[in-house]
Parts: sequence; C-alpha cells; structure tokens
Amino acid sequence: MWLLGQLRWWLLFALGMSLLPLFISPGTLRIFIFANFLAMFAMSWDILSGRTGYISFGHPFLIGIAGYTTAMLTYHLNWPLYITIPTAVVTTMIGGTLFFLPALRIRGTYFALVTLAFMELMYHSMQVVQPKLTGGTRGLSGLPTLVSGAVPNYYLSFLVMFAIGVGLWLLIRTRLGIALSAIRMDEDAVRSSGLNTTRLKLFAFMVSAMVAGIAGALYTHYLGSIAPRGIFEINFLFTILVAALLGGAGTIIGPIIGAYFLTFLLELLRPYIPGAGRYLIYGVIALVLYYYVPKGLYSLFERLRERFFRPRPDPQSD
Amino acid sequence: MGQIIIQGFLLSGLYALIAVGFTMIFSVGRVLNLAYGVYIMLGGYVYFVAVQMYSLPKVPSFLFAALAGVIFGVLTYQLLVKRLQGDAIAVEISTLILAVVMQAAIIVVFSPAPRSMWPLVPGVIYVYDVAVQKNILLATVVSWVVLGGLMVFVHKTHIGRAIRAVSMDPKGALISGIDPQRINLITWGLSGALGAIAGVFFATYTQLDPGMWVFPLITAVAVVIVGGIGSIVGSLIAAHIIGFMETITTTLIAAELRGVFTMLLIIVVLAVAPKGLFGKAEL
Repeated sequence: MWLLGQLRWWLLFALGMSLLPLFISPGTLRIFIFANFLAMFAMSWDILSGRTGYISFGHPFLIGIAGYTTAMLTYHLNWPLYITIPTAVVTTMIGGTLFFLPALRIRGTYFALVTLAFMELMYHSMQVVQPKLTGGTRGLSGLPTLVSGAVPNYYLSFLVMFAIGVGLWLLIRTRLGIALSAIRMDEDAVRSSGLNTTRLKLFAFMVSAMVAGIAGALYTHYLGSIAPRGIFEINFLFTILVAALLGGAGTIIGPIIGAYFLTFLLELLRPYIPGAGRYLIYGVIALVLYYYVPKGLYSLFERLRERFFRPRPDPQSD
Repeated sequence: MGQIIIQGFLLSGLYALIAVGFTMIFSVGRVLNLAYGVYIMLGGYVYFVAVQMYSLPKVPSFLFAALAGVIFGVLTYQLLVKRLQGDAIAVEISTLILAVVMQAAIIVVFSPAPRSMWPLVPGVIYVYDVAVQKNILLATVVSWVVLGGLMVFVHKTHIGRAIRAVSMDPKGALISGIDPQRINLITWGLSGALGAIAGVFFATYTQLDPGMWVFPLITAVAVVIVGGIGSIVGSLIAAHIIGFMETITTTLIAAELRGVFTMLLIIVVLAVAPKGLFGKAEL
C-alpha cells in the first residue's frame, strides 16, 4: 500500500500515456517514440552522472556498443532478437566495466575527458577496423524490427521506458541510491563512513550500462539501421546531456521531463522556423534554460508544488 | 623517412598552436572551454568570407579573423563563464552547448555544405627532396612565431606575469592587487585569438564545414592531457608526440587510423599518469 501511494503519480502518468494513441496521429506518435528512447538514454546517464557526479561524456559509446552488438549478430549470423538483445546488454555491461576502470583513479574533468576519448575512439575505429563486420562508414541497415507500426512501437518503447523509470526511481530512494548521491557530494566522506565506494561506483556503472544497453539495442531495432555517424557523435551526446540536465540531473523524473520537453520543443518549432534555424533556436533555449535553471525543470515543479500544496516533509527525499 | 620528419614537424607546430590557446584558459581559470573548437571554426569562416566573398587582401583578413576570435572569446567569458566560475562541470557543459549552438548558426548562415579554402600562399617548395606546400610551411612558421611571442608575453610583460600569478594562486594574486576577473577576460580574449589564427591555417589544411570544430577540440584535449593540463611546455612536447604519431600512422598504415591511436594514447595516459606526462609545470 505504501508503495502504491509512492507510485501514484507514476500510475497516473502511465494511464495518461497509454490512452494517448487513441487521440493522436501515428506521425505524432513517432515523436513520442523518440522521446521515450531519449528518456531512456538520459536516465542511463542520470543514474551514473547525475547521481554519483562522475560526468560521462561518452554515453554514446555504451549505446553504440549495444546497438552494434545486436546489429552485427542479427545481420551476419541471423540470430533471433530474443538472443541478440540480451547479448547486447551483457556486452554493454562489459563495456561499462572498461569505462569504469579510469573512474578508479580520476575524477571530475579528467574523467569526463577520458569518456569523450572512448566515444571518439569508437567513432574512428568503427569506420576502419573490420569494415566488413561493422559496415564501415555507412553502417548496417535492413535490420529486423521487434514490432512494426507506430502504435506497437509506441507501447513497446513506453513500457520499457516506464519500467526503467520506476525501477531507477525506486532505486534512488533506497539506502543504496542515497549512498550513490553521497558520492557526488563528498566521496572521501562516504569512504570514511565505512562504505566501499569502489563497489558503489561499480554498481552505478553497471546499472547505467544495463539501461544504456537495453535502450541502445531496442533503438537500433526500432530504426532498423545503425551507423557511426549519428551515434558516436557529439551532437548525440549533446541531446542526451541536455535532456538530463534541463529536466533535472539526479532525479530520474527530471530526465524524462527533459526528454519530452526537448523532443516537443523541436517539433513545436518546426512550423515556424524551417530548416537548420530550428536547431539554432533549440540550442539557444537549452543554453538559456541551463544558465538560469541549472537544477532543471523538475526543480521548478517542486518549487511550485511546495508553494501550492505544501506537502508534509518527506524524509526520504534528499 | 625525410617525409615523415618534415611533415611531422609541420603538423606538430599547428597542433601546438591549437593546444596552447586551450590550455591557457585551464591554467588561469581551472575550467575547460569546450567551445574552443568554435574559435577555430570562426577564424576559418571569417577569413573565408573576407578573402573569398569580399575579395579583401589577405593580411587584413587574417587580422579580422583573429579579432573575431578575441571578441568571441571575451563574450564567452563575460556572458557565460563568469557567472558559472568555480563550477568546472557547469562551464564544460554550457560551453559544449554553446559549441553546438554555434555549429547550428554556421549551418544557418553558410549551409551545411563544406567549403574549400584557398591556400594562403599557393605553391610547393622542396626541402631535401620532400615536397612541402608553402601554405603549410607558413602555418608552422606563424605558429612558432605566435608561440614564441606568447612565451615572451607571459614572462616579460606585466600583464603576462599577472596571468601567471593568477594561474599559480588566484587568491595570492588578488592580494597583490591583481584583478583575477580582468586577467581571465584577457586570457579568454587571447585564447580566442590563438584559436582563430590556428583556425585559418587548419581550414586551409582540411576544409571548412560546420562540424570542423570537433577534431581540433579533440586534438587540443589530447595534447593537453598528454602534456599535463596547464603546462605550456608540456603541451609543446605533447603536440609533437601526437603530430608525429599521426604522421607516422598516416604514412605507414592508413590515414583513417590516426584518430584511433590518438584516442588510445589519451586513455592510456589518463589511466597510467592522470596528471599527464609533464605534470603541472609553470604556465
């Protein structure tokens, strides 16, 4: 019962979203599908970087590993998706461990840069190393899809996004989740209180990689194609980062808000500003919002809620 | 062999110029400017517009490009970085967003199509039987002149000494009557100029396109990490390590692989010696 009370907003959200296909066109639904995937990517970033403060500039690296694993297995070996997708998730988690090694020794700026190097490394090597396997610069296309049509894809992406969202949201409410955010505030203090920060960090990396793996594999099969350009790219990283930060880093709900907000902002601008100008306005709005509301939209909602509802103080929130 | 040595030195000179502008900002403000690649791009485009669209003479156009870099560097600091100072991650993220915004702006103005730049000086000369484009030779010479000038500036002038003082200890500098914000502003302007000058040459080296800011930024990051963040001498040495590594890869293995080795080097150096090969030497 307690859990149900905690989850009431989530359930309301799910109810609203599951009725959505009744009201809107398949075209608009595809925008929602993209928003769902972006929300998954942003949450994956958030559980690692938003919580522990180890800023990752290389999340496209993890997403790309997942996408390429499942793409190559289905493309070359014709393995069925129910095998390739779990394999991709496991591979991504192994990739996540590789990602984790530098975090044992370096923090802050240096860590962000080494993750950026991982992403660039993949971008360059995917095009030249074994282009027969990876498809080189053009990538692989004609990959099988899990379900076809806008409505089934919408439900699939929403269901997965929702499950990840609720799971991570519950996770950050546990003692474990609180310990993760304590790492962001003062890692040495966490260690002095007798917690094994290495294990905690490894856990955050594994969860983040798992979410990135699931999302990356499903996204690849939703698109039906994969190429180095578009994945291992700073613009992709930018979208993920901005979604998480504009929504509110470290909150899990924030990245979902951010992902929807960004996706719809881009769509809302479409009729007014044609072509590339749209991305300019979109970037400027992102920059101004980040500048003035660095804690994200979620913090604005919280402030409004406090003003109008005055809830009892919640001992779990931090 | 001669080819590798000559090309290696030429490329390394340009990389050193690219990296020094980037590392200066870190020394003084302890923040990474991920919009640095934009100064390079801006330099290239301003020169392109001046020379190839308005047919202005080359030298004033070159100065315009440098001036555009100064203005943009100062604006980045004044409008964005100043208020976020002290939060390195916030600066990195907002400058990254700024870079993407500028990329979009360039696409709006110039369309996404790549443009090719005329060389500053056309023609080829032979050095020990190796054909060297005069343009690239000029780039290296100018790089070294600018770097030498910079060294004299930070060691011999009053403002230069103030810059070094702030990079060593901002509080101590403040007590000695130096305004760190003013020094930061000067450094950002200087960094913008260095980036824009490097950008003119870099653009003739490759081509102009809205995504061209990424590669020099990554190279600057690589040079600075390998050399040790904040060390100009370390950056010079690291620029040569990376420049030669790329030349050797390009000549002996394959041109596409040069990025791969650079990235591997960053990862290895950061994992083995996170402070870089030359630690934190003086500015």
